Amino acid sequence: MSTARVKVSVDTHRCVGAGQCVRTVPEVFDQRESDGIVLLLEELPPAQLTPYLQKAVRLCPAGAIALQDAADYEAAT
Amino acid sequence: MTPPDCPVFPFKREDPFSPPPQYALARADGAVCPVSLWNGKRAWLVTRQAEIRELLSDDKRFSGAMADPNFPTVTAARVAVDKNERAFVGMNNPEHDRYRRLFTREFSVRRMQALKPKIAAIAESLIDEMERAGPPVDLVAMLAVKFPSLVMSELFGSPYEDHPFIIRCAVARHGLTQSAGEAETKARELADYVLRLIQAKEANPGDDMVSRIIVEHVHTGHLTREEFAEIGAMILRAGHDTTTNMIGMGTLLLLEHDDLRAQLAAEPELVEAAVEELLRFVSPVQFSPRRVALEDVEVGGVQIPKGEGLFMLLASANRDEAVFERPDQLDFARDASHHLTFGYGIHQCLGQMLARYELHILFNTLLRRLPGLRLAVPLKQIRFKHDMQIYGVHNLPVAW
Repeated sequence: MSTARVKVSVDTHRCVGAGQCVRTVPEVFDQRESDGIVLLLEELPPAQLTPYLQKAVRLCPAGAIALQDAADYEAAT
Repeated sequence: MTPPDCPVFPFKREDPFSPPPQYALARADGAVCPVSLWNGKRAWLVTRQAEIRELLSDDKRFSGAMADPNFPTVTAARVAVDKNERAFVGMNNPEHDRYRRLFTREFSVRRMQALKPKIAAIAESLIDEMERAGPPVDLVAMLAVKFPSLVMSELFGSPYEDHPFIIRCAVARHGLTQSAGEAETKARELADYVLRLIQAKEANPGDDMVSRIIVEHVHTGHLTREEFAEIGAMILRAGHDTTTNMIGMGTLLLLEHDDLRAQLAAEPELVEAAVEELLRFVSPVQFSPRRVALEDVEVGGVQIPKGEGLFMLLASANRDEAVFERPDQLDFARDASHHLTFGYGIHQCLGQMLARYELHILFNTLLRRLPGLRLAVPLKQIRFKHDMQIYGVHNLPVAW
């Protein structure tokens, strides 16, 4: 698996609050207290978390997490 | 695959620890396999993880509305309860999300973590009871049934003494042998029970899910008492029967695998990986999720006509050779967390974190408290739940 740094985005409309991302990368994901929907704690996490973020993408049942190369994101912004 | 005659589904298991052998044959043959149901209708078994994930993510072409007359079933009794299903488990979006979101925070990782000390105290107290009773005891009756019942009572607010009734209602839905009338009556009785519980909690609130949902969603007009009663009935059924069966089968597997049991007893921190692997290996839910094709679709190269039903065989996906190496081997060293035991897509189990924490605590407490745990009868005297839609064991006599 790639260990390049990634930019994380979440889709709160797709999220079904299953908690898989929070279980997998609690440093990056939490759930809103109001409704249990995903809360992104860190948009640009350190590169060592990238394999776990890829795992969170695979485990998310609703396809609510997307990763993009952090360098591409930073170049575009 | 186009066999000359469709086999009749469901199939029988040959080995109590493995899904029916037809699943592996079907996986080798193709992603989907046509079968004939009890009512003569044709349905399709989806057997591989990739296609199951794809279908359960595709709300446009596949419906999960249980009230659809084309929804595939394994018994006449299931038709009777499906047509009356009013909880979000049987809905498509956008209705599904509207209702599910009223309940997601009740099952958040943080809330479930906060419940751990209470779950641990319940495990200890039930093992105290087992010790007082003295060996041999039936672990199903004394632990596997009572443990999730006590946890659900704590979380949901249903009085513990009502659990035999709740379990009878769950079994009347999850069996394969009950009549349609019996299934329908018990579904009604459980929803009526939850409605009375809601009314009781309105008069006398407690620190529980029912009381919180009343204040947050019923009194604010997001949810009627009747809708809450149907959803509450679903939560109670799901919270009791599935966990009970994972405890029974999981414990039996630990007793049958001395090496794995010793490994887990020596390294309790292994329990997270062990529970994921046990969830993968046991896959207690046998005949769900189900879908109906909303248009003519192609799945894994096979044409499925509009209106036909599909069964997502989670137990088959969890033994998929393309996803898990040596899938028929129970192995706590593997990362099995991408199993599909809790389903996939928008309907993935809402209570999965509760189930995980219950199982982590239960297995670690059991192995620590009763290190000499063993079967008190030969394996052939264990009655496996071939008669149920949620697989497990009916009895598990143990000594220590």
